[in-house]
Amino acid sequence: MLNEFLLHLAESLEAQTTSQMLVSSYYVWSWVESAHVLTLILSVGCLFIIDLRILGWMLTDSSATEVAQRLHRPMILAFVVMFLTGALLLYAEPVATVQSLWFRLKILLIFVAGINAWIFNQRLKNYQPSCERAVVAPLSLRIGASLSLGFWCLIIVFGRYIAYDWVDCDNTGNTAILWASGCVYQLQAL
Amino acid sequence: MGFRLCLPVASTLTLPGEHVLTNRVISGTRLREYPRTMIFGIVLLFLGLQESLGIREAVHYDLYDSFQWLKHSSWLGVIGSTYGSVYATIEAIHLISMAVLGGCIFVTDMHLLGLLLKNASTEQLVRSNLKCIKLTLIIAIATGIFCACGVADKIYEKPVFWVKMFALLTGCCFQFLIKQPLLDNYSANKIDKLTLRLTALSSLLVWFTVAASGRWIGFS
Repeated sequence: MLNEFLLHLAESLEAQTTSQMLVSSYYVWSWVESAHVLTLILSVGCLFIIDLRILGWMLTDSSATEVAQRLHRPMILAFVVMFLTGALLLYAEPVATVQSLWFRLKILLIFVAGINAWIFNQRLKNYQPSCERAVVAPLSLRIGASLSLGFWCLIIVFGRYIAYDWVDCDNTGNTAILWASGCVYQLQAL
Repeated sequence: MGFRLCLPVASTLTLPGEHVLTNRVISGTRLREYPRTMIFGIVLLFLGLQESLGIREAVHYDLYDSFQWLKHSSWLGVIGSTYGSVYATIEAIHLISMAVLGGCIFVTDMHLLGLLLKNASTEQLVRSNLKCIKLTLIIAIATGIFCACGVADKIYEKPVFWVKMFALLTGCCFQFLIKQPLLDNYSANKIDKLTLRLTALSSLLVWFTVAASGRWIGFS
């Protein structure tokens, strides 16, 4: 039911003139995708610096909480732009993107990474006095930082895979992949 | 100790022993005090000359066979063009290394601009970031070579690829011949603030050019 709803929504978006103009425009599409990648480099780069500091692998002479606080604003700004450009990219090709297994995995991981980030921030506030100058943060924070690194590496990998058509609806006959990708018409044809 | 604005990153940037060599090459001039700046300037001059005099274009056609070999005969090119999943994964690793490199460059340069981590020691922050910059640069270049081999015949035709290579060369030269020696040999509080900020701004612009031109390869 969810797959049918998402496909119907994607088809209605794809029928809009603005969506068709966006996907057919050479320069606008290029600028949006470039902005998406460049803000990804900035936002994920700042995130990686914070996580590597928590793990005690770099910037060990600076306070972990200060590093996290100082990099928080540019990271969030870059994340906002990244999400906006990502939404535009989805809007430009809604049907193909919604039916991409890699896109679905990417969104799921972004959701999980967001939960991990929220838990991490809560723990960072609670542990603040003790990890002001500690080279290595407490175990729970290090676990959160490691998970964050892993999640975002996978998000980047799956984001890169979206451009490839290995498991697209028309290129696979595997029922599980078709269901996971939301290939409604291909599933109905089986 | 004054610093020249016309050469914003240069003053007496010589290490012990360099005076002897450069004094033999250029004597009686102030230029001997700026060996690394001279090397960087010569590299930029060479790049500019070979573009304006059409040297690259003349050599360009001779490189065609080499790029064809990279794509069809080298094992990197064969793996990259045959196994799409391997190519995509290496591309993603290239992007991840660029993200970490970008983060390190951003933190260092924003600190030099006085916008981030103002309470941190410049020397310690630069030293801490340097290892990360070197490691991620090595990974980015290694994965970049693999990616280039997989599509060597296509990137050969794209001017933006050569722009990225020149920007990468400029960025590496600037980082290791200008910025790092400046920050290693002089305490940050003894360096002119304008010099530091111009250095940071130049670094940000060069690496942004590398990232942006790399992305534009996919569109051209």
